Amino acid sequence: MTSTELLLQQLINAVSIGSLYALMAIGLAMVFGILRLINFAHGDLIMVGSYVTLLLMLLGLPFLLAAAAGVVASTIAGLIMERVAYRPLRGAHEIAMLLTSFSVTIFLENLAIILFRPTSRAFPAPAVLRSVIEIGQLRVAGLDLIAIIVAAVLLLGLTLFVRRTNVGIAMRAASQDLLAARLMGINVNKVIATAFAIGSFLAGVVGLLWSARVGKIDPLMGFNPVLKAFVASVIGGLGSLPGAVIGAYVLGGLEILLQGLLPSALTPYRDAFVFAILIALLLFRPNGILGSTEREKI
Amino acid sequence: MKTRLAIVLVAAAALILVGCGGKGGGNTIKIGMLFNMTGAQASLDAPSANGANLAAKEINAAGGVLGKQIKLVSFDGKSDAATIGTAATQLAQTEKVVAMFGFSDSDMVMAAAPTAAKAGIVFVTSGATSPKLPDQVPDYLYLACFGDNVQAAAGAEYAINSLKAKTVYLLIDKGMEYTLLLGKYFKERFVEQGGTVVLEDNYQTGDKDFSAQITKLKGQKAKPDMLYIAAGPDDVGTIVKQFRDAGVKSPIMGGDGYDTPLLVQVAGKGAENVYFTTHSLMDPKLGTDAVKKFIAAYQAEFKVPPENAFAGLGYDTVKLLADSIKRAGSADPKAIRKALQATKDLPGVTGAITYQEGSRIPQKGVTVILVKDGTFTLAQEVVPQKVPQP
Amino acid sequence: MAMSTRLQRLIPPAVMIAALAAILGATDLVAGDYLQRIVIIIGINVILVASLNLSNGFTGVFSLGHVGFMAIGAYAASILTLPVHLKAVNLPDLPGWLQGVAMPFLPATLIAGLIAMLVAFAVGLSLMRLNGAYISVATLGFLVIVQVVLVNWDQFTRGARTFAGVPAYATIWNVWIWAALTVYVVWRIGASAFGRDMRAARDNEIAALSLGVSVIRSRLLAFCMSAFLTGVAGSLWAHFITSFSPKSFFFTQAFSIITMLVIGGLGSVSGSVIGVFLITVLSELLRNAERGFDIGALHLPPIYGASQILMAVLFVLVIVFKPAGLMGGREIDIRGILRRIGASRRGKGAA
Repeated sequence: MTSTELLLQQLINAVSIGSLYALMAIGLAMVFGILRLINFAHGDLIMVGSYVTLLLMLLGLPFLLAAAAGVVASTIAGLIMERVAYRPLRGAHEIAMLLTSFSVTIFLENLAIILFRPTSRAFPAPAVLRSVIEIGQLRVAGLDLIAIIVAAVLLLGLTLFVRRTNVGIAMRAASQDLLAARLMGINVNKVIATAFAIGSFLAGVVGLLWSARVGKIDPLMGFNPVLKAFVASVIGGLGSLPGAVIGAYVLGGLEILLQGLLPSALTPYRDAFVFAILIALLLFRPNGILGSTEREKI
Repeated sequence: MKTRLAIVLVAAAALILVGCGGKGGGNTIKIGMLFNMTGAQASLDAPSANGANLAAKEINAAGGVLGKQIKLVSFDGKSDAATIGTAATQLAQTEKVVAMFGFSDSDMVMAAAPTAAKAGIVFVTSGATSPKLPDQVPDYLYLACFGDNVQAAAGAEYAINSLKAKTVYLLIDKGMEYTLLLGKYFKERFVEQGGTVVLEDNYQTGDKDFSAQITKLKGQKAKPDMLYIAAGPDDVGTIVKQFRDAGVKSPIMGGDGYDTPLLVQVAGKGAENVYFTTHSLMDPKLGTDAVKKFIAAYQAEFKVPPENAFAGLGYDTVKLLADSIKRAGSADPKAIRKALQATKDLPGVTGAITYQEGSRIPQKGVTVILVKDGTFTLAQEVVPQKVPQP
Repeated sequence: MAMSTRLQRLIPPAVMIAALAAILGATDLVAGDYLQRIVIIIGINVILVASLNLSNGFTGVFSLGHVGFMAIGAYAASILTLPVHLKAVNLPDLPGWLQGVAMPFLPATLIAGLIAMLVAFAVGLSLMRLNGAYISVATLGFLVIVQVVLVNWDQFTRGARTFAGVPAYATIWNVWIWAALTVYVVWRIGASAFGRDMRAARDNEIAALSLGVSVIRSRLLAFCMSAFLTGVAGSLWAHFITSFSPKSFFFTQAFSIITMLVIGGLGSVSGSVIGVFLITVLSELLRNAERGFDIGALHLPPIYGASQILMAVLFVLVIVFKPAGLMGGREIDIRGILRRIGASRRGKGAA
């Protein structure tokens, strides 16, 4: 491989992993924008969707059908999560909500351990998802392409939804000022439920792409992705949707860059660099790359 | 709220007291079993617990030991050192077990074994393979498996002698003692025999994307003859799959972490040309009769084939302890330790166990497995010529 | 008169210390190892939670990364106390001046606390400028960084490998002396003018600023003191467990401490003690119960993980129904209780 090819290959790697982070980060950002809730349990929706898909496949359903059911299951799980754990906390301190989301994570992960056993299981993806396209020395996994395309389509759709539809506009209003939105007669509960539904739907999709990429699933599989998505959305500015997407690609690039370019002695410190950059960003641009430079009133 | 909480507390306490009250003692021999059934270590430990329960069931069905039934008294370690220490204390003091076993990881073993030693009972680890372990708890800590230095040396010798490899790419999980030691010992023995390490890279347990490492390897001018990837059972499938998907075709080698059906299930065709060192050939068709019987029984009991090498090790550990109790002629912890140390050629599904005088790591042969047409096949039985110092 | 009020003032702490000493003495002499362990664990958790309260409860700087200071304390103290012959084996690459050092427990613990405090100062200088969720995010980042450094700094920490052979110096007595000291310090700070400054800054930053309270300085001071005590707790924990690895100091541990803090109530020291006690005892009971048991003919199989699930549900319930925790930021008024007891007794005597 020449160095240009090497660089190009790493770029493809970065974009494809960034796309997965983006779909996750959007879900986090949407909920945070409205509720100021950092929903750590978002990652477990990935797990729910993937397990439902796998179990249905084991029952003999074709992949597409099982996958659709998995995405639906993850959406429903997200809605239940909102209704049972977060709605009673409406108006609570953001720390209380954050800690509740940790509890939801512990609940779901241990439930999954009891129901599905703690050991990993293979996640058999159809052959299409395993194909590889070769361009000269470059290799692009079919899965990576699909991830990039799916992310682009969903992000576009989401943008249209937020800008054009009434619910979408209500959602933006709620994220600017929840109280004012309620005063304007917006059904805030409905808006929040919609945000959760969309986020969980995206998590379901990520779950499929992620599981196909990794090849196996386990009850604790949601933790790493949500941590990444969380970092991404902070980089982009907590609560900002375009910010979350940009943050995700920045994170993807950063990770690949650090792992690929750092000397071997330093690569184990990769995550430390990522989080140090995150903290530096918080200090100098506390609202992220795209976050509004919200000033205190008066 | 407070009163309600208090009621809950009292009720729970009452339930537990009721639960603990009805245990009879006379006709059973209690052995303490400690595994992490939840938390980060659970995917490694749970199969061992299954294997151990299966062994106890078989022993009891065959009449038990010394005319008594074996009872495995178990606590969940929750992948937490403080909880494990407490559970070990309960086993030693409250339950008065005659021996303890468990765990697939050194930290976890070290959280429990000193407590067992203090109470004068042995602790046999079914799956922690660090050869340095027994010296940390003199006299009472035994391994039921070979040390990492033995299997890594066997792997390195096989790579040089049979695969004719001269150069190697090394990828090590920096997050686990097992993989760190495995990688270190392999490198030591491989270089000692004249091999060179072309590139050494690393990752963290649980990483899911290896594209950066792969691209770095492909950017390397000198192509290595083979890859040695020290990884745990949860990561091997994913790693092999991603390397193969990216077009890396050289032989890949690893340790007993590879001994899981996940390798073939996850990596599919990518698992071809993968070699690994392990305890025995765990194949329902090609294995020994004992192995075949074990796999069938495991499948019948738990509805899945053994998930990884730890299942067989858990099974053998209980058989090892039962055999020691039988030879000791009593359930006295002192006698059990003496008998355990004298174990010789005890057959097991993970190989025969012999403890040399003064050593608490069994002498076991190493089996090299080659994945061929989606099944594990025997490449060679190896007794390494030279083993790196622990 | 003046003499007698001063004496009267000393009665509640004296009563408490005597009661504590009696309980500990009884545990030490009579109870088995199991109960003693639980008492030690409660003591260490009291230090962890009360010191976390100093930062998270009083100043509103909600740190998720305090376990990082616990880790620093644990490793620093263990490196200092590890016997020389074990250092040669387990930490061969240690710099020469450390190779020959095997300190007693107390100085090692104090140094460990100081190191944790220095790190807190360096980190806090910048982090204390952040607010709300951002500070939680940044401290979480700090925790990850500590974790990564521990896993990779082989020379001092053995990396991901087990750090074993730490002498078992922690006893019921030294743990609980530290615990009582921590509770006393945190309680005194809470009741002091400085404590009021911190709370003012927590509740209304701008108003506090206008009254001349330096928000960042008071936060930083609380953060550093809290880190010192957390580092001490880390040292005690290390000399209690005696072998550990970096993964002992990560999210699970962080969350368990925060749970106890929030259930007890932010800003209340007695709440911290109650939170620790309740959670430790309850999870201990549940851990024993989830192994399955027989009620008459009914046999319940073991359900591992059930205890974590129940604790998670309980936590959400407390947050929903008692958002300010069980103590709601108040303190138990020991003097008031003693006075009432005294009064009722005197009342009876008169009748």
